[in-house]
Amino acid sequence: MSHSFDEISQQLKRRHRKSTRLKWITMGSLGLAGLFLVLFFADMLSKGLPAFQQAYIQTEISYTEEAETDGRRAFDEELLPLISRTVVRVIPMELRNNPDMIGTSEEQWVLATSEVDQYLKGHRHRLSEEEQEALDARVEAGQVDLRFNSTFFGSGDSKIAENAGILSAVVGTIMTMIVTLAISFPIGVMTAIYLEEFAPDNRLTQIIEININNLAAIPSILFGLLGLAIFINFFGVPRSSPLVGGMTLALMTLPVIIISTRTALRSVPESIRHAGFGVGCSRWQVVRDHVLPLAMPGIMTGSIIGLAQAMGETAPLIIVGMVAFIPDVGVSFTNAATVMPAQIFTWAGEPEQAFVEKTAGGILVLLTILISLNAFAVVMRKKFERRW
Amino acid sequence: MQTNQLLLIFCGVLLLLGLLAFFAGRSKATRLRSAGTAMFAQPDQYAWFTVLSTAGPAVVVSALGAFVLLLMGADIPTLYLLAASLVIAAIGLLVSLNQVKPDFHARQAIERVIRMALAGAALISILTTFGILISIISEALRFFQMHSFWEFITGTTWNPGASFLASAGRGDGSGAEFGSVPLFAGTFMITAIAMLVAVPIGLLSAIYMSEFAPRKVRTVAKPVLEVLAGIPTVVYGFFAAITVAPIIVNIAGFLGLDASYNNALAPGIVMGIMIIPFISSLSDDVINSVPDSMRQGSLALGMTKGETIRDVVVPAAMPGIISASLLGMSRAMGETMIVVMAAGMRPNLTANPLEDMTTVTVRIVAALTGDQEFESAETLSAFALGLVLFVITLALNLVSVLMIRRFREKYRVNNL
Amino acid sequence: MNRILKTTVIAAAVMSVAGVAQARDQIRIVGSSTVYPFASYVTEEFGATTGNPTPVIESTGSGGGLRLFCNGVGEGTPDITNASRRMKVSEFERCEENGVTDITEAKIGSDGIVLGQSSENDDVALTREQIFMAVAAMVPVDGELVENPYTNWSEIDSSLPDREISIYGPPTTSGTRDAFEELVMESSSEGMDVYGDEGYTDIRSDGVYIDAGENDNLIVQRLSEDTGAFGIFGYSFLEENTDTISAASIDGVEPEAEAISSGDYPIARSLWFYVKNQHAEEVPPMYDYVDMFMSEMMIGDDGYLRDIGLIVLPEAEREEWRQAVADRTAMTADVLK
Repeated sequence: MSHSFDEISQQLKRRHRKSTRLKWITMGSLGLAGLFLVLFFADMLSKGLPAFQQAYIQTEISYTEEAETDGRRAFDEELLPLISRTVVRVIPMELRNNPDMIGTSEEQWVLATSEVDQYLKGHRHRLSEEEQEALDARVEAGQVDLRFNSTFFGSGDSKIAENAGILSAVVGTIMTMIVTLAISFPIGVMTAIYLEEFAPDNRLTQIIEININNLAAIPSILFGLLGLAIFINFFGVPRSSPLVGGMTLALMTLPVIIISTRTALRSVPESIRHAGFGVGCSRWQVVRDHVLPLAMPGIMTGSIIGLAQAMGETAPLIIVGMVAFIPDVGVSFTNAATVMPAQIFTWAGEPEQAFVEKTAGGILVLLTILISLNAFAVVMRKKFERRW
Repeated sequence: MQTNQLLLIFCGVLLLLGLLAFFAGRSKATRLRSAGTAMFAQPDQYAWFTVLSTAGPAVVVSALGAFVLLLMGADIPTLYLLAASLVIAAIGLLVSLNQVKPDFHARQAIERVIRMALAGAALISILTTFGILISIISEALRFFQMHSFWEFITGTTWNPGASFLASAGRGDGSGAEFGSVPLFAGTFMITAIAMLVAVPIGLLSAIYMSEFAPRKVRTVAKPVLEVLAGIPTVVYGFFAAITVAPIIVNIAGFLGLDASYNNALAPGIVMGIMIIPFISSLSDDVINSVPDSMRQGSLALGMTKGETIRDVVVPAAMPGIISASLLGMSRAMGETMIVVMAAGMRPNLTANPLEDMTTVTVRIVAALTGDQEFESAETLSAFALGLVLFVITLALNLVSVLMIRRFREKYRVNNL
Repeated sequence: MNRILKTTVIAAAVMSVAGVAQARDQIRIVGSSTVYPFASYVTEEFGATTGNPTPVIESTGSGGGLRLFCNGVGEGTPDITNASRRMKVSEFERCEENGVTDITEAKIGSDGIVLGQSSENDDVALTREQIFMAVAAMVPVDGELVENPYTNWSEIDSSLPDREISIYGPPTTSGTRDAFEELVMESSSEGMDVYGDEGYTDIRSDGVYIDAGENDNLIVQRLSEDTGAFGIFGYSFLEENTDTISAASIDGVEPEAEAISSGDYPIARSLWFYVKNQHAEEVPPMYDYVDMFMSEMMIGDDGYLRDIGLIVLPEAEREEWRQAVADRTAMTADVLK
């Protein structure tokens, strides 16, 4: 069974080549994953960035007496079809509140219709040939332009595409997250403290631990069913409110906070606790004054990550009804509201071409917030990490 | 008077009582101490004791009362309930002030209460699981009273249509069929596609990161993959429906095949991308935990690095890798938004991923958000589906945990 | 001392948020997904042009909406429900049982159900019977009831185009589907003895009829991609997408506003909303919204809702309903029979 030296070195080379091939294959798959990410972001950016610009048209608004009854009278008839309805409809109310404006007129840049907007951006639109020609002439004359879309960030949802904004969804998300944190943070931290510091090593404790691990893996939609059946039908919490959405999300975030708090508590060395006992502190005093402050950075980062996860959840909120149409920006826990992912979901179902870019724009806003939160948590963790 | 105003007044009075209790308790304790007696606890602790004795019973009584109101529909006017609680609070205040004596272990009393509170918080997680089980099982049972369980599990036609006619006042609902096999087939098909994407890429990436990559690449690559995990699923759904699905239809058309716009490939692939980080980070941890001695032994015997990985490290890490895959699978099965936005609505029992098909989670959403009667079989079927989904994901998670435990025991690893 | 101060401040803040008495200014509306685009337009207009908060409107479907509406009076029940079909006697009775005794009915317009296709195709003329043959699960062939064998339109009738039968339609939970089944499927099969006493039961589930979800918008989107297919949706969605979608004529009548309004177009239905008069005190702006909806500005010949696809009622009928609503006439069961 002896081979020549050459044969052996050939074999060896082949084996080494295979090994190198493995290295390239595995590196390639990592690269593939990275490629997906890049393609995904490129796609979202290309679809969403145009949403941050909106078409405006320069026009003269004459606040005549007739305009108080019919807002359309305040505008030049030729330009009227290009002007967004949202501008026209508020004129009567404005004049009623400021009667001294009647008789004056002014030049303003107002919101143009979404058809104009889509045409200027080169997307599918519904303008006729003549309308396009007339529009081109106005663009040349500098009367129609794409400008920064402050409406997107400043107003709530709307059926009128050019007026649709993400503010009501952002506020709804904030309200819901307040409820979520208010419920899940205290309960989660308390549970973790109990399990780590106080719990006796018996059956009940084991059951609780198994329970928490299971909760972490339950599909999110089942929490929605819980919210619907128990919070809404049984407890009567108002449907679609940040209260019920927050309660449902709190249950989902609980396992995450518990697990990360436990890890943070565990990372505090025993010597600190022993020292506390040594000077005569009771168990609770040791935890409250020594362990908890040291573990706090870890607990905070865990909670922020849990919060970020909750912010992106949609399925359970759809089941509890948070996909209502919310144009008003409401700061209430019991009125109907919507959250950013739900808003994205709703816009994704709208037929108008203009809503495609709004959806992508909303996605960009959501992703920015999430990535910032996660980056903040990671930076915090690095900064406060103490190596014992 | 409105409930909200009542609550406001209740909280206000309770707060005042609490403050009163605090200062009264503290001053009494300080007085006693300065009179020369040695006390078992600090004045502040006595103060907190009185506060707890005041507020605690009041809150407990009003909470119990609220529960009774809800559960039994008993008609206790809120005003009386809150007033009664306040009276109890006042009694508690007086009694506890009486208790502030030198030989009273206030600190221990407080800490006992705190311990109970902590344990109570821990029990909430059990309550949650029970809540989920109860809500799903009770509604699912109502469904199984209307339609046979066996048919539900084994039937191959999901056609709730006639039950809708019944609730709309036409027809008698007898033609409705609730065989869930096509739904689970759809779920499994999309999950399978997702795993086919996620497991190779995830595992190979994990191998690269733990065995080959220089440290700098590793510190950059891990967070980048975490970003994939952090993207909300609704965003993935939008991506799948608007970008990926048309591409697949075009490619299929190019190859002469006919693909639906709601084909199973698009949500499957995108779901796979979403799961890559799960598999890669868990596998990475497991592979890193394989004792170095095994690698060194293999290299000492003359095996190349690639052979070591393939024949020694990966098989050793296999239980952990399987566990990661099972977790990923359970995630894919329970995933809702991607399929709601990109998959179809038609129950379809087929092996062709280019056809449109629907999944369990899509039907759950459709049943609960459409035009429905809460009593109709279609709405309740959502809970029945939820129950089966719960059982399957639970089983997958259990097996996954068992495998990790076996791995841990085998290699005495503590950080998994 | 410091800690106590902090606790007090926080407690006061929490209480002030919780204790703010929620005055109910916000109207709550539920109901049909077909009426939803029109109603949400009015709600937005209402919120933007009067000082009131925008009413909250949820698309639950006609049946679901009527159920919620008739659950009772007071907290947690909606004020108004929209419907793409008239309330049924059984629903009215349930309302009465649960204490909802003072309801005003309002008819706002008509809606036609169209069979749309991508405008790239040539125009098509269909009869209800042909549609029935294409879509029913069991069809009569040579006098016998068999599973639907047709895969191509030209197989049903040689005058029809040579295209694969592919129809995107609403799911069983949709009011549009309800109307489609009643006005097309049931009416076509009425004359056919072969169905016997049971009559028609099902739409085929072999992939030819594709359940496209509650959202009519999605059906429209699909048609621009899947150019050979047809879609079943409300007339308003046809109006909104004339650049990409055209519709087949049914029984010789084109789906146009006039024809639908007059009843010539066979697949037409009325759109309604119901107002819970008993909530008038609790929700002051309710009647302002209702009157705005019924105004000429909205449902008139030149109204805004017409622009987004509502088929308006003839003027006389409009006036009649406007007057009835303005008088807050309570409806009785007789009108439903």
